[in-house]
Amino acid sequence: MAGQSDSTMSLFSSEEIEFMAEDEMTEIVPNLRMDSLNFICGDYGPFLPQLAAQVPLWLALALKKRGKCTIRLPQWMSVENLTRVLEAERDSHAFQPLPFHYIEISRLLFDHAREDIPDMYMVRSLVEDIRDVRFHKVETNLEKFTASTVTWKNMSAMEVNVIRAFAGRALQAFYKHDNEQQTPDTDRALDKQPQIPTDRPKRNLKPR
Amino acid sequence: MASYYDIDGILMEEEFVPVVFQKAINGVNIDESTEKGCVEQGSKTELPFWLAHELHMRQAVSISVPNCFNQKTRLEIQADAACVDLRSRCPYFYEFGCKLAPLCDKSIGLLLSYAFQIRYKEVLHKAHTTAFAAASKFLMLLTKEETYLYDAAQSSMLAFKKWRMGGPRLQRASILGRKRKPAE
Repeated sequence: MAGQSDSTMSLFSSEEIEFMAEDEMTEIVPNLRMDSLNFICGDYGPFLPQLAAQVPLWLALALKKRGKCTIRLPQWMSVENLTRVLEAERDSHAFQPLPFHYIEISRLLFDHAREDIPDMYMVRSLVEDIRDVRFHKVETNLEKFTASTVTWKNMSAMEVNVIRAFAGRALQAFYKHDNEQQTPDTDRALDKQPQIPTDRPKRNLKPR
Repeated sequence: MASYYDIDGILMEEEFVPVVFQKAINGVNIDESTEKGCVEQGSKTELPFWLAHELHMRQAVSISVPNCFNQKTRLEIQADAACVDLRSRCPYFYEFGCKLAPLCDKSIGLLLSYAFQIRYKEVLHKAHTTAFAAASKFLMLLTKEETYLYDAAQSSMLAFKKWRMGGPRLQRASILGRKRKPAE
C-alpha cells in the first residue's frame, strides 16, 4: 500500500490513521451560498446558508477554518451518550460500539471546532476516560491471549494500530511454539532421519 | 521470519552445542594441543550449530543438550520464568531451542512455550507501563525476540502519544527559515 510509512512491519502511523478518519461523513451548517462541489470521491452540496449538509470531515474542517460553516456535533459525541458508553465500558468486559475512528474524529473536532462543541471540557474528558478504560481492556485482553483464535469486537482503528506490531509478533511466536509441540512438521521429520552415508562410489548422472 | 538472509537466523546458528563424535575423522583437529591430526571416536567438543547439524545428519556426531537448556535453567524457569536472565545464557533462546528440540531433546519445546507464555505477560506489562529509564534493567534479561516485542509495543505507544499531544501540524520548509545573506 502506498500510504504505509514502514513497509517491513506493515504499520500505519497515527497520522495516516487520522488521514483515513477524515473521510468519515459529518454534518455541517454552512453560512455561505455555494454550488455543489464535484470531487473524485463524490459530489457535495449545493450549500445554502442555514441548511445542513453532509460532507466528509476534511471538507468540513477546511470550510470551518475559513469560517464558512459550523460543524454539528455527531450524535455519539453528546454528553449523555458518552456518559452512557463510559458506564457500559466500565461495567462489562466487551467493547462498546463506537465509531471506528472515534479517537481521531474527536481529536480533530477538539482541535479545529472547539466553539461548536457545547460542554467542550466535559466531552473531552469523557472521551479521554473512555479511551483509557478501553486501552486498559485491550491490555488485559492481550494478557490472556494464546495462539487460539482471538475475537474482539468493536475495537477502533487507533486501538488496533497501537497494538498491531506487538500483537502480530506475539501471535507469531505463540503459533510457532504451539506448532513445535503438537506436530513436528514434515520437513523437520525428514531432517530427523539422518542420511545414511553409503559406501558405494557415487554414480555419475547421465547428461540428458 | 525464516528468510534466508535473516541476520538473526544466521547469528542463531552460530551458537555452540556440545557434540560427541561417533566416528573417527581424519585430517581434522579439534584440539590444538594434540598433534595427531585426527579426531577419535567418542571425543567430545563444542561445534557451532550449523556444523553440528550437518554432521548429525550424516551420523558423524550426536548432539547433546547445551548449557542454556540444562536442568538448572529448567528449574529456574519453572520457579519464575520472568526473572531468568535468558540473554546471558543464549540471546536466541527460542529460535535456537526450536531448531534443537527435534535433534536432541523433545521436551525443550514444552519448556520454550511455557517460558514464553510467562515472559510474554511480563513484557506486555513493562512495555506499556514502565518508563524507559526504569525498564533498562529489565531489558537486560530479555532475549532478542522478546526485545523486538518490547520495542514494538513501546514504539507504537510512543507514536500514539506523540500524535495525541499534537505539536506542530505544519512543518516548515527548511528554505523558509534561512536568513537572507547580508548585502555586502
